[in-house]
Amino acid sequence: MAAPHPRYVLDPVALTGAVTALVSCLALPLAQLRSSRLALAGEPHRALEAGPFGVAAVALALAAVAVALVGRPALRRLLAQLDATALAVALAWAFGAAVTRLAAQAPPIARVSPGVGFWVALAGAAALAFAGRDAAPASRPWRSLALGAVALAGFAAAAAYGGLAQVSIGREYAVRSDVFWQLAAQHLALAGAGLAGGVLIGVPLGIAATRRPRLRALALGVTGILETVPSLALLGLLIAPLAALAAAYPSLEAAGVGGIGPAPALIALVTYALLPVVRGTYVALDSVDFALVDAGRGMGMSRVQLFARVELPLALPLVIEGVRVAAVLLIGITTVTAFVGEGGFGALIFQGVGQNAPDLILLGALPVIVLAVVADYGLRAVASLATPRGVGAA
Amino acid sequence: MIELQELTRRYADKTAVDRLSLEVRDGETCVLIGPSGCGKTTTLRMINRLLEPTSGRVLIGGVDAATIDPVELRRGLGYAIQSVGLFPHLTVRDNIATVPRLLGWDDARIGERAEELLALVRLEPAAYLGKYPRQLSGGEAQRVGVARALAADPPVLLMDEPFGAVDPLTRERLQIEFARIQRELHKTVVFVTHDVDEAIRLADRIAVMRDGRLLQYDTPENVLDHPADKFVHDFMGADRALKRLVRVRVTDVLEPAPRIRPGEPVSSAEPPVTDGRMFVYVVDAEDRLAGWVDGREMAAGRSVEEATTRVDRAVAAVPGDATLKEALSAMLGLGFRHIAVIDAEGRLLGEVGFDAIDRVLASGDARRAGEGA
Repeated sequence: MAAPHPRYVLDPVALTGAVTALVSCLALPLAQLRSSRLALAGEPHRALEAGPFGVAAVALALAAVAVALVGRPALRRLLAQLDATALAVALAWAFGAAVTRLAAQAPPIARVSPGVGFWVALAGAAALAFAGRDAAPASRPWRSLALGAVALAGFAAAAAYGGLAQVSIGREYAVRSDVFWQLAAQHLALAGAGLAGGVLIGVPLGIAATRRPRLRALALGVTGILETVPSLALLGLLIAPLAALAAAYPSLEAAGVGGIGPAPALIALVTYALLPVVRGTYVALDSVDFALVDAGRGMGMSRVQLFARVELPLALPLVIEGVRVAAVLLIGITTVTAFVGEGGFGALIFQGVGQNAPDLILLGALPVIVLAVVADYGLRAVASLATPRGVGAA
Repeated sequence: MIELQELTRRYADKTAVDRLSLEVRDGETCVLIGPSGCGKTTTLRMINRLLEPTSGRVLIGGVDAATIDPVELRRGLGYAIQSVGLFPHLTVRDNIATVPRLLGWDDARIGERAEELLALVRLEPAAYLGKYPRQLSGGEAQRVGVARALAADPPVLLMDEPFGAVDPLTRERLQIEFARIQRELHKTVVFVTHDVDEAIRLADRIAVMRDGRLLQYDTPENVLDHPADKFVHDFMGADRALKRLVRVRVTDVLEPAPRIRPGEPVSSAEPPVTDGRMFVYVVDAEDRLAGWVDGREMAAGRSVEEATTRVDRAVAAVPGDATLKEALSAMLGLGFRHIAVIDAEGRLLGEVGFDAIDRVLASGDARRAGEGA
């Protein structure tokens, strides 16, 4: 007899994602027509009413259920990711079609916005894509990256040609397109500067922590405590001392230091970047097998040579992991620094909350999510590139 | 020559090494042995200054190691450790190149040396140079570890249980190979182990340690036959007589083996068969062992071809560098009182009989008995 057939194992994540997508496509509203930008509830509009793309979305969701039940894991993962990508793009285009149709019938003040079904179906597709990622932890995430790019392109195309621009959030964007890109640049600059500061301070601190036990306890302890301070509270705490500093030293004030503005925002961001970076660096270096360090020293490597030729190459992927966590964290926290007058996309969210305009909040929140996901995947890819051959997955 | 003078290493709560003095002559292998915690590894690590002695001195070639920059010192002392410590992100070639790179060798010379060393440890260079450590078996990794320690041709090798992490069979194979390499290279070796058989097989002198003190420092024969105290006696084990067999090579007690070629009558065997001899080796035109024939069958009138038992040389013979222990083990495995000894090409060198083993065992008994009288 041939080798025993591998036992069939159900993938609960894939199945849950697929069923969620199917149910929400069929039963929940894909889009809703609201009487104005401030109205919260609206008239529902289902996927099947959205023309060929809506039908395609339902069909793909149905296919997803079948895919989730495929027995061969490798095949199931591949099909799951392909189906999830196609489903996401179909949803975007179906939604765009719904928007075009609804907007044509309604007065200009009315807004079309995504319904619960759209978001839940997208979440289902995301779960399906997640279940379909490669099983090996250190494997290179090229397939996920490529399909993610395809999905983004599908959304962008829907925005350009498929009526997505007519959606409420698109109309919020249309009136603020200049500000939007300024805020995008500011968001990236703030998060980037915070991350750079965190890396410049955190990596040497992490390295030093592996060399001196007492410093290790101090560095990990203090950054750990700082991490638990809520970001809004930290910004609030910084106002008084920085304002006092600026008052005492006019040169500092001239340089932009003050209770509000970029100074407290940057200090907060660097602070939050520290823990993941310090801990990542420390853990990375600490996890280098002592036998390797011993062998290197025993063969006559100087400390610098040992660090550069053995410790650093082996630790680098984990160091980058720490930087990745910090980057995702900072992209989120930068939003909060709108509280002290900076904050990039956070400014849109604060405005949206102030005006009670849900679409404006989304206009601020969605790019933050996209940025975080892009940073996450990008740095994962960098980490796997930095993994030496002979160490990572075969 | 390595000379340890009153070497001591104290920690807050214990003395790891206590006034240890010994001399390792050039080209000799000194094995430090003892139960765990006896200070053997600490002693080794003081030689290349991975640990600094609390007091006492290490002289290498007459120079106090404390006066040499530790990094420079270590580059001149080969170092191999139990967990091998091969760098996982570097290929076999680059691992071997570690010390040569530190010494600034050019790439061509490094490549040449890496190939030479892999051949020395019996790994096919073309197949292994580009491999990563995780693609190696335990035994292969240990071989590469030895090759790496030898890379810059240091006169001294420091080895801390370098064959510790492999199965007993592989381990014995590695010991035999290392003994062969050492016969070629004549390094001055300080070797740490807790395995008595390993010590007896490899050592020119064994240093038995306990609780940081040197109990006995002598040749394996003397440590086996004249243990300094009860601890050494017990530590070397109850089968001390058998362990002596590891010290004798089959070539040292080789006897001529009667042989014939297909087509020849048994009476033509060279050297001639004497009374009581049951079988004769059959060799081919190049003198390679092909099998044997039972003398009684020949007497019954069958031809050599008909009566020959063809054999697998790997099972039915031992190589010339085997020890009497391996010869005995092969004899017991085959159920014979003789075992053929062949060279690398399979040519019959001679044979070793049970009598020779008996004599070696008896000589140890005689020495002990003589001492008792």
